[in-house]
Amino acid sequence: MSEAQTGDEGRESEDRGPQPTDLPKDASRRLKELEAGLFTSDLSVNEFLLIKEAGFHPLGFVMGSSIYHTGLQVRKFTKSEELTKLTEAMYNARELAMTRMEEEADELGADGVVGVRLDVNYYEWGKDAAEFIAMGTAVKAENGQSYRNKLGKPFTSDLSGQDFWTIMQTGHVPQALVMGTCVYHIAHRGLGQALGSMGQNVELPNFTQALYEARELAMTRMQDEANELGASGIVGVRLEEKSHQWGSHTIEFLSLGTAVTKGTGEITLPRPTTVISLDN
Amino acid sequence: MSAPQPEPLDLKTQMTRAAASLHKPSPAKATAVTSDLSIDETLLLHSVGWEPVDLVFGASIVSVPAGVWNWGNGEIVQASEAHTKAVEEACRHTERQCSHVKGFGVVGVGVDVAIHPHHIDVRLLGTAVRPTKPNAAEKRQFDTRGGFISDLSARDFVLLRQAGWAALGLTFGTSFVYAPRRSAGTVLQQKGQNVELTNLTTAMYAARESAMERMQASALSLGGQGVVAVRVNEGPVTFASHSIQFSAIGTAVSLATDAHQYCQPQVVLPLDDILVQFDATSLRH
Amino acid sequence: MTTYSDVPSESEGRLSAPAFSSGLTVPDFAACLEMGLEPVGLVQGYCVMKWSWYGASSPYMRGMGPLRSNDQPRAYSEAFQCPHGFIAGDHVTWGQNFEQTLVESAWEQGFLSAYTRLLEEATEAGGHGVIGLIDTVRPLTDQAVIEFHLLGTAVVVRGAPGPPDGHPWSTYLAGQRLVKLIEAGFMPVSVAATLASVQVWPYCMTEYYLRGQGGNFNWSPRFPTAEIEQLSRAQIAVCHLAREHVRAQLGSDTLYGATMATSDHEANGGSILECTLRGNRVRRFKDFDPLDPPRPTVRLT
Repeated sequence: MSEAQTGDEGRESEDRGPQPTDLPKDASRRLKELEAGLFTSDLSVNEFLLIKEAGFHPLGFVMGSSIYHTGLQVRKFTKSEELTKLTEAMYNARELAMTRMEEEADELGADGVVGVRLDVNYYEWGKDAAEFIAMGTAVKAENGQSYRNKLGKPFTSDLSGQDFWTIMQTGHVPQALVMGTCVYHIAHRGLGQALGSMGQNVELPNFTQALYEARELAMTRMQDEANELGASGIVGVRLEEKSHQWGSHTIEFLSLGTAVTKGTGEITLPRPTTVISLDN
Repeated sequence: MSAPQPEPLDLKTQMTRAAASLHKPSPAKATAVTSDLSIDETLLLHSVGWEPVDLVFGASIVSVPAGVWNWGNGEIVQASEAHTKAVEEACRHTERQCSHVKGFGVVGVGVDVAIHPHHIDVRLLGTAVRPTKPNAAEKRQFDTRGGFISDLSARDFVLLRQAGWAALGLTFGTSFVYAPRRSAGTVLQQKGQNVELTNLTTAMYAARESAMERMQASALSLGGQGVVAVRVNEGPVTFASHSIQFSAIGTAVSLATDAHQYCQPQVVLPLDDILVQFDATSLRH
Repeated sequence: MTTYSDVPSESEGRLSAPAFSSGLTVPDFAACLEMGLEPVGLVQGYCVMKWSWYGASSPYMRGMGPLRSNDQPRAYSEAFQCPHGFIAGDHVTWGQNFEQTLVESAWEQGFLSAYTRLLEEATEAGGHGVIGLIDTVRPLTDQAVIEFHLLGTAVVVRGAPGPPDGHPWSTYLAGQRLVKLIEAGFMPVSVAATLASVQVWPYCMTEYYLRGQGGNFNWSPRFPTAEIEQLSRAQIAVCHLAREHVRAQLGSDTLYGATMATSDHEANGGSILECTLRGNRVRRFKDFDPLDPPRPTVRLT
């Protein structure tokens, strides 16, 4: 495949360490083996069977990771604001991980990646360093039709095998895992303010404002990514809040979802039978 | 398919007959069978013509010499070797037990790995199973490849079999690497920056890739077409946090029939507790 | 063991009361009635045992090896000889793995006492069997003092004769799982549980491996990784013993739904490996008639 060849040439001609868009050499070797026909997948057996039902075949377990130093941004103790440098850092770190995973899928000639998991690992030896990992199973359509998204890249989705099958039955096709992130610092309240509201049941306007804004920012960015892809909607949205290693007044809001577009539009989902289970 | 039932399945009658059977002497010809499968799994196995035979297990404890975990460079070869040796030896022992009881394979194997500073322990426990009336394909697989070990539950084994896939064996790959040190200058320079630590990333990739390659190699050596249900375990080693472990375990499978048999699942809508469906926490997982 | 009833007198009033008590959950209770089983009372058996390991009270035990008695001539025991020749006075020239039959029979006694008392209570309540057995074995205060507690629900099978020898049958299962067991053609007979215990007295090679010396009395990188044979064999032996003990209890019945758990701890300069195996002893009462393979479904939750 031409993309793989360009990648190899690029690596050999430069002596610098791996560039953010290049896959480390070790990955290529393994991927070649997978192209020879062996598939690996971290799908459970249920998911494997449903992926096959949807007309796809697993190609290989793909991963992307990046260890990022998410250090510092000066923050004002009493101001609630977005910490743009940290937002950028978190965004870049995840993007790196996701992009590498997509590249591995690309090398395998996949149509998409399902069951994507985004994880963060912290290691004791790297203060402020966190490892961002994206892993999933690359799949390819068995009917030869291309399911790549509008940008020509394999689609990614964090939908489980079951959800993937269901959404394909409704005539929609996943485009990409879209995410929006925002790292927000919540102002500490001044002494006067804290004393003033002691003993009262009252809304804390700075917190409300801050957290509202942060969430909106994260969700808007996610929406923007979906618009870029020309998606008709986002399903399975998850809103996560993490403080990572920054203490409790700095929170990262991460909003994740799978952007989908209407494909052939035909709903082939059979009419469900209603059951009621008598177990706990 | 089963013949038409000779009598209706009246549960109460069955229970009284069952209780009455205790008064009769038990058939002496049967050999005792032990199994750790649940009733659902046993019924599933029976429905495809297989039955549990015996509990089988294997264990191996392999030593790791001192000084191995001290900070170095690259892969911690001895730790990876010890881990591989321990799993292989434990698998070998389980296979011997399986063939001793004339099982065709072991399902539901629980793999328990413990890593200590000077030794790595692996324990396997599962139930050996066999078809009550093996067909030609199953006989052929057993004669050519011997018994298989798989960490698939009996339920997953049956599902795959119905879809035309045969389980070939446990595949695994492990690698331990040292986290590379950064020089003091680099540490200071990167302190205030939000930047990727490329040497660490490369080291992590090296660990992953060699582990996955080993798993793939072991799958290919079993003659598999693929590996399913890969479980990946990665992270720092508890007592030596500058060493990173990456291990992957799965089951190698290959098509026993000409093509994949599609299962055409029925879609059901459970009318259980409606309130649970609308719980907003389901958005947050 | 016990020739008189040592079930506390407090239980008598409770078990002969007209209203029944039971440990069944609502779905299990519904399944019970579906099968024609009527709960008659919540029953329990209890026992506290004390034992000590070899060598705990006697320092001479180390040279004596495992006790062999006429009724246990084939207890597991394996010796390991040092391959080095004379090195020094404190070099451990031999080691041994052996089955701790004393501990095993003490555990058996504790479990059986609790189990017998449970069955006595069930008989007193007029039950034919005990279902939904929950068994808890745990240390009480000291390491060497263990309590055995068994709890279950006594039931009567309407329209069936009482159990043979007046011994109620019993099982860990209840509810739909018991229904499925009966439909599959199995009748519960009793529960089977055992503990196997092997003591490891390490010899020089094992000690060196555990200290990371690579199998030589001088630190040498020549044998980088090797299997610690003594420990592997002990681990396999303990699981094997547990399985064989239970098999001896089974006769020609089947052990189904077993759980095997292993643990190890340091004691007396070596380590002790233990393995417990529990399961339901069941007997086939009708011919093999398997169900059709079930239909796969996808749930829209």
